[in-house]
Amino acid sequence: MSLLTLFAIVFVLFVLIRIVPGDPFSVERMSAEMILQKREELGLNKPVLVQFVDYLSLLASGSFGNGTALYNGAPIKPILTACLWNSFKVGVLSILFGTIVGLTIGIVAALNRGKILDGLCTLVSILGVCIPSYVSMIFLQYFFAYKIPFFPYFFDPSNFFGSAIMPALSLSLFAVSTIARFTRNEMVEVLNSDYVKLAEAKGLYGFELVRRHVLRNALIPVVTVIAPLVVDLLTGAMVIEKIYGINGVGKLMVDAIAGQGVDYNYVLALGIVFSALYIGVMLVLDILYGIIDPRIRLTTKEG
Amino acid sequence: MYTPQKDDFEFISGREIEIDENFSSQGYWTGVAVHFFKNKFAVTGVILVVGIMLFAIFAPPASSYEYDQIISVVDANGSEIVAKSLPPQFSGSDVQNRFADKTFIFGTDDMGRDLWTRTWHGARISLIIAFVAIFIDMLIGTSYGLISGFFGGTVDNVMQRFIEIAGSIPTLVIISILAIFMEKGIGLVIASLLITEWIGMSKIARAECLKLKEREYVLASRTLGAGSFHQIFLQILPNTIGPIITQVMFSIPVAIFTEAFLSFVGVGIVLPQCSIGSLIEAGFGNITILPYQILPPICVLAILMLGFNLIGDGLREALAPKLEDM
Amino acid sequence: MKKFLMTALLLVTMIFTGCGGGNDSAGNGKFSAMLNSNVISIDSAQCSDASSFELITDCIDGLMQLDSNGKPIPALAESVDVSEDGKTYTFHLRDAKWSNGDPVTANDFVFAWRRHCQKSGNYAYIMGDTVACVKNAEAVIKGGDPTTLGVTAKDEKTLVVELNAPVPFFLSLMVFPTFYPINEKFYNSLEEGSYGTSPETFLSNGAFVLTNYLPGAANIQLKKNDSYWNAANISLDGFQYQVVTSSDNALISFKNGTLNLVELGGNQVEHVKQDAELSKNLQTFGTGDLTYLSFNQDPKNHHAGALSNVNLRLAISNAVDRESLVNNFVMSGAKATYTAIPVDFAPNAEDGKFFSADQKRYSDVVSFDVAKAKKYLETAKTELGKDGFDLQLIYANDSGDTSVKVVQAIKSQIEANLPGVTINLQPMPKAEYLKDVTSNNYDLAVVDWVPDYDDPMTFFTLWTTAGCEIAEHWSNAEYDKIISDCTTGSLAADYSARWNALYDAEKILLDNAVISPLYTGSGAFLISPNVTGMEFHVAGVSRVFKNVKIK
Repeated sequence: MSLLTLFAIVFVLFVLIRIVPGDPFSVERMSAEMILQKREELGLNKPVLVQFVDYLSLLASGSFGNGTALYNGAPIKPILTACLWNSFKVGVLSILFGTIVGLTIGIVAALNRGKILDGLCTLVSILGVCIPSYVSMIFLQYFFAYKIPFFPYFFDPSNFFGSAIMPALSLSLFAVSTIARFTRNEMVEVLNSDYVKLAEAKGLYGFELVRRHVLRNALIPVVTVIAPLVVDLLTGAMVIEKIYGINGVGKLMVDAIAGQGVDYNYVLALGIVFSALYIGVMLVLDILYGIIDPRIRLTTKEG
Repeated sequence: MYTPQKDDFEFISGREIEIDENFSSQGYWTGVAVHFFKNKFAVTGVILVVGIMLFAIFAPPASSYEYDQIISVVDANGSEIVAKSLPPQFSGSDVQNRFADKTFIFGTDDMGRDLWTRTWHGARISLIIAFVAIFIDMLIGTSYGLISGFFGGTVDNVMQRFIEIAGSIPTLVIISILAIFMEKGIGLVIASLLITEWIGMSKIARAECLKLKEREYVLASRTLGAGSFHQIFLQILPNTIGPIITQVMFSIPVAIFTEAFLSFVGVGIVLPQCSIGSLIEAGFGNITILPYQILPPICVLAILMLGFNLIGDGLREALAPKLEDM
Repeated sequence: MKKFLMTALLLVTMIFTGCGGGNDSAGNGKFSAMLNSNVISIDSAQCSDASSFELITDCIDGLMQLDSNGKPIPALAESVDVSEDGKTYTFHLRDAKWSNGDPVTANDFVFAWRRHCQKSGNYAYIMGDTVACVKNAEAVIKGGDPTTLGVTAKDEKTLVVELNAPVPFFLSLMVFPTFYPINEKFYNSLEEGSYGTSPETFLSNGAFVLTNYLPGAANIQLKKNDSYWNAANISLDGFQYQVVTSSDNALISFKNGTLNLVELGGNQVEHVKQDAELSKNLQTFGTGDLTYLSFNQDPKNHHAGALSNVNLRLAISNAVDRESLVNNFVMSGAKATYTAIPVDFAPNAEDGKFFSADQKRYSDVVSFDVAKAKKYLETAKTELGKDGFDLQLIYANDSGDTSVKVVQAIKSQIEANLPGVTINLQPMPKAEYLKDVTSNNYDLAVVDWVPDYDDPMTFFTLWTTAGCEIAEHWSNAEYDKIISDCTTGSLAADYSARWNALYDAEKILLDNAVISPLYTGSGAFLISPNVTGMEFHVAGVSRVFKNVKIK
């Protein structure tokens, strides 16, 4: 099913990009014949469907072809792989960070609901939602890489962990606040439920209670928030990669749109990769649901 | 056996009569309104949003400068001096510059334009973009969701697959395809909001529709021979308005945010026109040396986000009150 | 619960402390320089931007290089013989090696030059008759047989170049990356299109080799090339480039020692000037680039048309306050310019005076005079029978905020001084902008032209009928004749006659208000006090790092 969706997406993207008006390469100092010749070279004169089949065979051979404008038509795959890898590392770090901190804040708030700690946590999550992440990123960079120069100012591939912390931290701010807010609300609801009260009555308390009865039930909706956050990271990544100078997919995307004119093949390749990523995350999510809540697995089997 | 007479009862006077509001008879929307306005946070949200809107509407015409006016004087040598990058100042206060007689509440930007005027003008543009885009989204999304939910079966299946595909393509990819052939500016921003924001709206409309279409009143009108159009838009739609408005309240900040983001990465508003996003982008370039330039738009953005989120939360609670909240 | 919390906290602290180790990206003896835009390509036949040229120059040596005064001195060429008529250059190459051990031969140059003409890349025109006049270059660029190109390898170490006309600045052209060699054997062993896309697919023969590079990379690392012919005089063990697009970011990264060399924008320059400590490190260099307003004079242009009227152009040109632009909005040391050739550029080889030393030479047509501008506008209105002009001004919005500020200021000045003229700003990415400018799809454009070589001709060729880059769609037989006389014709060999003829050409240009010059650019840099030996040049590749020493 997911593969089918992916196929449909590749098709839609391909057709969209091909039928969009405009030329796929910059015509800087190109005569009309040269454009025609180039179109011929790129196979743009064939019917769209034929082009699509060509493109599929290209994809099947594990390549994304060459760019049409960006970096003078260098092959896409090595560049894309390198960028993906950089973004992936920072992204994973920030998701880890966001989930751990977010969950911690949420749980602490829920367990202390109505107290000062709860209020503080609410404040943090409200701030996180209201202030655009790129603004808080700037402040973070200003304070922790300049005023207190504990972290390197720019991302440095040769010192990955040291220099990835700041970008990852900044990137995770929105995730932290969203996850914290959700965890808190879900936890409060679960803590008020009858079965938790029963468990308490049976003498279960503290960590055991939270682990056995509360967390698991509270996590299901939280997992739902994490998935779109993973994809949202991309939006944040565009800014964060610009600020910290990371060679990632966000920067590649900006370059593909505005670098040397729009590069159709890069946009296509990135679109496919992002969509695949999204579908992949959704798939993982489904599996995660099953692990956290066996009932879901049961019902889907029956249905 | 004694039968109570009318005279046995008398009104208690001199004491206030307590009527339990929660269970008193009142219309649905009155109930929602009462509930909403009892929520301190929601009221705060309304005050914040209305406050910003009032400023956005009245501050630019009331200001003595145009939003794109470069303020300058000519000195004795005949060369022009522009009032650029001045920190906030009020006329008459002890300011050591050539523009001491002028008031710049938020200061001026690096082009010598009054930031007070620009901030509110920008807020106005951002709000217009958000409202226009979300209103159209609401129309598209609701119709799509209702039609999909009402007809069910193959229609629903096809429409849902479409949503699945459209929803799996990240927003940024869609925007970049749009950017290939659209001119940068307000149009592009609205178009990208249109394409991405309706999906959430349609999902909610569909869920509501599935719930409502089996209700007796819909069944009754169907039995009486009402057409699909009648049922969808006259019977079901009015009852989905609550959740949809809630969704709108959450979508507007997203729209403002997206606009700010697009302008920030350079595909948004065209200068000297301004929006909250383009103002933040402009201030961002000088954030450490001229920090006062970025503060006003950020504060306006944060207040708007907070306000709309509070209103949304309040509406959601007011529409589906939980027992424990009463 | 406590246990759980502890675990969570522990994890967080582990992430923090476990990885927060190194903090020495620069400062202690390392050199890090800022690039203000991405390196697009290190294939010398395809790149066309300053960052790319700079990186190529770090890694590859050409026949010549510039000394610290901007004079060409031999690099890979050990000596040069010029024929009597100035049309044949014979270069004797020294023993140099590519970083894979192959010797650099004359054939590497022949291969690179031919390939360049064949690919007809952005800078192929520089081989052609408007600039270097290499024999048959024009024909090869248009698809002719590459072996006919006037460059031959007489033997392994002797390169002979034949020209169509004597070119007085030919040797300084050899500094430009377009004329650099490429190792043919290595190139042919690579997959099509992959040359120069990674350190593995690129060979150096210059001072540095790439260790970390990707097209569009934000961080580029280089190390010293031990097999460089002049390795003994290279003091840097290596250095890195960091792409920083925000001038504010640049300032901070300099302040905290991350970068040793950064370029600042106008606002930051103002700020630094008020800081006694920082301002000691501030240096400004004229970059020799002219920013001008280009008028599209194509009468058929659907939305311009009006601009084919000379009085409207003159009105606009005289309505712009250049001093105010420079002092209030550009601020980084740029100079207001009233001539078609930038100030402090192209010194006369005989008396050493810059070509545009006299800024008042054309003051009757290029000045800031609102009254005159209004008079021109009235004439234009009656001539065209129109009362209002709606003009579109296009500019690139991704090459720093200076141009964004300048266009807004120009819009405001023109609209205030010329009632009835409306300017609509149209920002676009650089590539799109270049496309529109070269294909005549604009009314007004703000153009920033960086000279390729140290001679006024680098500008004058822009406005010939066959003009190579930005087409104003203006054509003047007299102007064309002067330029062709000066490049390949009768005046090419007579230095001072050529020089004077160029002034005549400039007068034609400005009398017709083909363009409206605005200002000559300048770069403002912060350089760490422990860095010496930085070289800045006006033309060609503007920054050279070979001789940098760190104290």
